[in-house]
Amino acid sequence: MARWLFRRIVAGIFVLWAVSSIIFLVTNVFTDPAAVSLPLGASDEQRDQRREILGLNRPLVEQYGDFLEGLVTFDVGDSFWQERPAYDIVLERVPNTLRLVGAGMSFALIVAIPFGLLAARWEKKFPDGLSLGFSLATISAPPFWVAYLLIIVFAVNLGWVPTSGDDGFKSIILPAIALGLPSAGRLTQMLRRSTLDEMHQPYALTAESRGFSRGYTILHHSFRNTGAGFLTLSGWEITRMLTGYSVVIEVVFAWPGVGQLAFQAVEQKDLILLEASVLMLALMVVVTNILVDVLRRVIDPRVELA
Amino acid sequence: MLDISEPLFETSLEEAASVELPRRKEVWRHLKRSKVGIAGCIITGGFILTAIFGPMLPFIPNPSQQDLEARLTPPVLWGGTWEHVLGTDQLGRDLLARIIEGARVSLLVGLSAVALSAIIGVTLGLIAGYKSGLLDTVITSVADIQIAFPGVLAGLILVTAFGPGVGLVIIVIAMSGWMVFTRVTRGFVFSLKTSLFVEAGELTGAKSARIMRVHLLPNLYSSLVTLAVLEFAAAVLSESAFSFLGFGVQPPGTSWGLIIAQGRDYITNAWWIVTFAGCAIALAVLGTNLIALWLQSFGDVRGRERTLLETPGAGA
Repeated sequence: MARWLFRRIVAGIFVLWAVSSIIFLVTNVFTDPAAVSLPLGASDEQRDQRREILGLNRPLVEQYGDFLEGLVTFDVGDSFWQERPAYDIVLERVPNTLRLVGAGMSFALIVAIPFGLLAARWEKKFPDGLSLGFSLATISAPPFWVAYLLIIVFAVNLGWVPTSGDDGFKSIILPAIALGLPSAGRLTQMLRRSTLDEMHQPYALTAESRGFSRGYTILHHSFRNTGAGFLTLSGWEITRMLTGYSVVIEVVFAWPGVGQLAFQAVEQKDLILLEASVLMLALMVVVTNILVDVLRRVIDPRVELA
Repeated sequence: MLDISEPLFETSLEEAASVELPRRKEVWRHLKRSKVGIAGCIITGGFILTAIFGPMLPFIPNPSQQDLEARLTPPVLWGGTWEHVLGTDQLGRDLLARIIEGARVSLLVGLSAVALSAIIGVTLGLIAGYKSGLLDTVITSVADIQIAFPGVLAGLILVTAFGPGVGLVIIVIAMSGWMVFTRVTRGFVFSLKTSLFVEAGELTGAKSARIMRVHLLPNLYSSLVTLAVLEFAAAVLSESAFSFLGFGVQPPGTSWGLIIAQGRDYITNAWWIVTFAGCAIALAVLGTNLIALWLQSFGDVRGRERTLLETPGAGA
């Protein structure tokens, strides 16, 4: 286990290195960071000055070395926009993103687990059809649009919750639902499918033939066996949220997380801040994947450590 | 990391050998019996026809025609006029005309992104699966890295470096979708390459490029079609998200995501802008998803691992 974990962590670090190198390549080699980060009308002197500050006059290899050193020492440089270390700004935002993704994922699980099990219990009956309709609707609707519909109904018309910002428990409800719905839709169908597969296994047939009800068999026998697969896909859903939907949802709700920060960095043309926030999101993805693999192993010892 | 070293498909040799392309007649018969398939084809057909012919209809106004006196006119059923069936936006432009115009962008981006990612992904998957060894390891690890770094994040970096635009969105979506094709193709080739027809081809001295193209690729078509349909749905969703964030089509152009982005300041007094534009996205994606669902119900053996709702990666 320890060796396996070590290998996974090394692989994770390799991925982060690759991602950061791609970022370096795009921002420093393919384009001129000094030109990108300054307004269009900037004079040549201003650009030269910016180059001087950024150390762009040195050989690329040296710049790359400094870039990597900055990553390891957690000092990637100052944000132009806020004029303080980009790393600090990102770190302040991390808890908010984790809170949002955690709430979104909890919502998805609270919906998907009962819904998926009910659909499997009454296969091809009303709950099953309902779950398919729910899943199709949630994966087809763009999350940012769902977010606005929720705002129109619950924040503007009913006034139950604030429209945006981060102000106590109430304000996380709508973003969490908008973020969690597509995951809930996918996980519901996944759980239904794998439960039905398990119900064809000999042990489930034995249990049913011994007179246990279908519902009992699902809850006490097959549910445990679907756990590992379900966990893996839940991990994918978290990954998906971190690398995609969270940015959009945070922008819609003005939620002060890393995703919104990355978006603001683009608007401010703040390359260093953007690099820092994108790397932070990639780091969260890598950590999530390792945690999921460990958890999977814990709940299902049959899972091989590949 | 997601574990992509093992093939997604545990297809046995017999199953692989029995995989046949469904005949055209069979497809039609199957479609007629499937409500899901019919619904999907009607919605998607409507979407494609609207995108191609919609702007030519005589009663559709010019989508960029501004009329400041008629700004924020509600839809006809909510007190508007027949002149603007779905109402107007903040500049008095006809919402229906803009949504029709947006369908073109979605169709264009969806098709080109899927084509691009399928070409790259299938080629790499064939090479990785057939050649194995070092090439396989390299391709698999690149796909692995890509999975930790997809979609919006890559888009954020590229848009800052190269500026926004439709071409950029297509490239970003293709970049975050190719590895799904690679994984599926590779898994399939793994199970097929020991089969008799491949060995026979090798014995007659066919070059590996020919074996991949003539012997392996045709066996993959049916599963790749489902995959491509799913990726199309994901691409339309991603395009709308990118445009919404302002990275795609730039004003005065129009796309569904952009309409929502522009209408969001008016959600309190002009709910129809955001609502109808979003309906258009949701319908287009729903139609495509229904087709994918129907396609999967045909070859259950092939479609199993990649059911509609378990698609890994891809998408914003």
